[in-house]
Amino acid sequence: MSDVSLPPLLIEQEPSGFTLVAVQKRGLPLFHARLSVPAGASEDPRGKSGLAQFTIELLRRGTQRRDAAGVDDLIEGMGAHLGADVAMDEAALSLTVPAELSTAALDALLEVALEPAFVEEEVSSARRRAVASLQSDLDEPGSVAGRAVVTLGYGPLHPYGHPAQGFRRDVETFQREDVLAFHATRFQERGALLAVVGDLPPAQLLEQSRAALKRAKWPSASVTPREKSGYVQLPQTGLRAVVVHKPDSTQAQLRIVSPGLPKSTPRYFEAVVANTALGGGFTSLLVDAIRVDRGLSYSVSSRLLMNRRAGLAIFSSFTKNETLRELIDVALEKMHGYAQTGPSTDALHKARSYLAGLFPLGLESHEALAEQVSDAVLDGVGLEHLARYRSRILAVTADQARGAAADLSPARDGAQLIVVGDGEVARRALGDLCPVEVRQLEEFG
Amino acid sequence: MPLDPRDFPVEEHTLQNGLQLRFLPDRTLPIATLYNFFRVGSRNERPGITGISHLFEHMMFNGSKKYGPKEFDRKLEAAGGSSNAYTSTDLTAYYEDFSSDALSLVLDLESDRMASLTIDDSSLAREREVVKEERRFRTDNDIDGMMDEAMGALAFVAHPYHWPVVGWMSDLNRITRQDCERYFRTYYAPNNCVSVLVGDFDPEQAIAEFERVYGAIPAGEPLPEVAVGEPPQKGERRAVIHFPAQAPAILVGFRGPDGRDPDSLVLDLVEAALSYGEGGRLKRALVYGQELCVDAHVYFGWRMDPGLFEVSMKLNPGTDPARAEAALWTELQRLCDEPISAKELQRAKNFVRAGVLRGLTTSNGKAHTLGQMEMMLGSWRALLELPDRYAAITVEDIQRVARRTFAPHKRNVVTLVPGDVPDEGDGDARSAAQSAAQTAAQTAAQTAAQTAAAESAR
Repeated sequence: MSDVSLPPLLIEQEPSGFTLVAVQKRGLPLFHARLSVPAGASEDPRGKSGLAQFTIELLRRGTQRRDAAGVDDLIEGMGAHLGADVAMDEAALSLTVPAELSTAALDALLEVALEPAFVEEEVSSARRRAVASLQSDLDEPGSVAGRAVVTLGYGPLHPYGHPAQGFRRDVETFQREDVLAFHATRFQERGALLAVVGDLPPAQLLEQSRAALKRAKWPSASVTPREKSGYVQLPQTGLRAVVVHKPDSTQAQLRIVSPGLPKSTPRYFEAVVANTALGGGFTSLLVDAIRVDRGLSYSVSSRLLMNRRAGLAIFSSFTKNETLRELIDVALEKMHGYAQTGPSTDALHKARSYLAGLFPLGLESHEALAEQVSDAVLDGVGLEHLARYRSRILAVTADQARGAAADLSPARDGAQLIVVGDGEVARRALGDLCPVEVRQLEEFG
Repeated sequence: MPLDPRDFPVEEHTLQNGLQLRFLPDRTLPIATLYNFFRVGSRNERPGITGISHLFEHMMFNGSKKYGPKEFDRKLEAAGGSSNAYTSTDLTAYYEDFSSDALSLVLDLESDRMASLTIDDSSLAREREVVKEERRFRTDNDIDGMMDEAMGALAFVAHPYHWPVVGWMSDLNRITRQDCERYFRTYYAPNNCVSVLVGDFDPEQAIAEFERVYGAIPAGEPLPEVAVGEPPQKGERRAVIHFPAQAPAILVGFRGPDGRDPDSLVLDLVEAALSYGEGGRLKRALVYGQELCVDAHVYFGWRMDPGLFEVSMKLNPGTDPARAEAALWTELQRLCDEPISAKELQRAKNFVRAGVLRGLTTSNGKAHTLGQMEMMLGSWRALLELPDRYAAITVEDIQRVARRTFAPHKRNVVTLVPGDVPDEGDGDARSAAQSAAQTAAQTAAQTAAQTAAAESAR
């Protein structure tokens, strides 16, 4: 398998610190624009978890030129959904429209992002909706487990140590002033990136984007960057368990989590290969042992959550209450063994081919292209990361994979075991395996 | 604006054994997708073996004559591919996304399991447990899943859409190896399959390869008739589920047309007008305006037989379900009473057209869409006509179909009431909320339906 040729694209760095990306994708007459700003969940102020998410969702509730219904008409009249995503490191607004509406789409995107009204009534209403939604999310065991993983995995003082949606106790305190301040300081030209994907040559797409940006008004408040030392993950020892009590569950969600690596790690490719052999695809060590051989679960995986400055290694599965302990025992045994040996020769070959073969799927759609190129630029790994992805994956050696397997097992010393399910059932299942703390569901909402 | 046929140079072939092939080359990236669609889903089942279509889908990955247990995915992943499958009420689809140089292997793997699947007791026993875990995950411990299951049991009395695709737990325990073997012989013949290949490949080589690996598989007998048919609904039906949830929820279903009925396209636009985007009528009124729901959305999918137009509402904690229901009836009645504006209709059309285009931006999306068109509308060419058919829908069509669909006596309502799950023998221990919800039940049909739905939710 050879490396994939990226489509024609141009990247332009403005003196202001703003980045423009234009990618040509021929075929269907579609145009996609994605504006990323350094306003991710890690920028939430202390005691204001969820503010980044709250702010981006409020953007569509009115601009200085039109009310919420007017914004809906503007975006949705074009048949577009306004994507509003908050990751740990940045927030992104995006939309896809028929190609003939590209200029209108760019203007609409920039108006919504940069000229919000934040009307008091809309802020109050959004706060009530967000609080209700957080409570409602507690009904989904997988969602609760996901919230617990970042909170406990990173720890509550870490900038990544809370779910992007925040906690109800924080969201209830949000005022218009919080949102205004967050928007003014985080929706900055410096560090922002606009990626457009369409069927025109990249130079024309760039020109079109520049013209739209000339009409845009960026906030100009000063901002103090967060200190990098805040992203340190404190080492732990031993195994400990947290059970999140969800009454009347007949099935328990299980996560096992340890510190991982940031996206920019030089060990990226070996880490991804080692993790795939452990718990990716349908033939990994863990899927084989837990699902195929024992029928213990429908879903089994290990994954590396890689944020810009830190990451987590996470094992995920679920099983009926009666087999929770068996699932834990098998998962720990297999992960401990894998950390000692690394992948077999066959497993290493399979993981490399699997990743390299499927890589182009992530470059197919307009949305995927914009996201992949944006991330490569913003994460600092560069286009080389995409252009040479296949050859770098295929070049991972057995020694490298073995080293990554040992260093990145979700179940290594200091791991946390998280169960979302019936508290008493889980406590009994865990028995004397490790110290167990039972916590209430509402703590994670 | 219609789709340009030049963007869809689809080649059609049918092998002598009846296997239908649809090829769409696209050499942009070195990848391809193969879908095999079989005309079998939960509508082909009968009581006692409900869920067998889906369980069988799992069994298709457990080994065949040439590729033993675990080999299918191992070979595929080692060649740079991945596979998955899904089962619906009407069909079962298997697909592989893969590095384009793995095409020969993919066809060999797929044809081998069609020709000579191995079904043994031990793999069935393990897979049965996996599927039961899937059921616990998607239905027994998931509010949307348990409500959806109750809705099927409520809205369909005679039709196989009555039971869930995953099957009743008791049936999952009952299905035998012999049942699976019978199912395989009946439904997994080449003449019951459409293969769609999209991506980086040479069509001439591909057809030769298909002939080589599939050509010797014999055609099967004609399919058994499906027990379709459903008595007309003569009154509103209700079901109540008690579950320890944070907030109430409501799922409403109205029986609609089948996928080939032109009114299905009208209901697609009704769905868009009601629930697409932030400005959809339900979101604007129930989520933003009256703040009754965290979310309100519509689901209407094309089915082989007349299906359901469903509205799902996750209520804000503490909201009275009766109030949310009343607000929903008002919105639906408004569609019946007042013609929607030309602007709103155009918005709905734009959404649906954009959705069609977005579904065609990947090889997998193209292959899936072409196959869906073959299965549901009889030909992939229906895709090319879709934009024009949507464009021709009028304000009057919307009102006519809304009136036909949303009549009060056609309502099916499932309400989730937060609270403890009642013990099986505890007939008297009713909460106030349960009593209130049940007071709303008024017809004999309603009482009968409540019984059926309560059983399905346990």
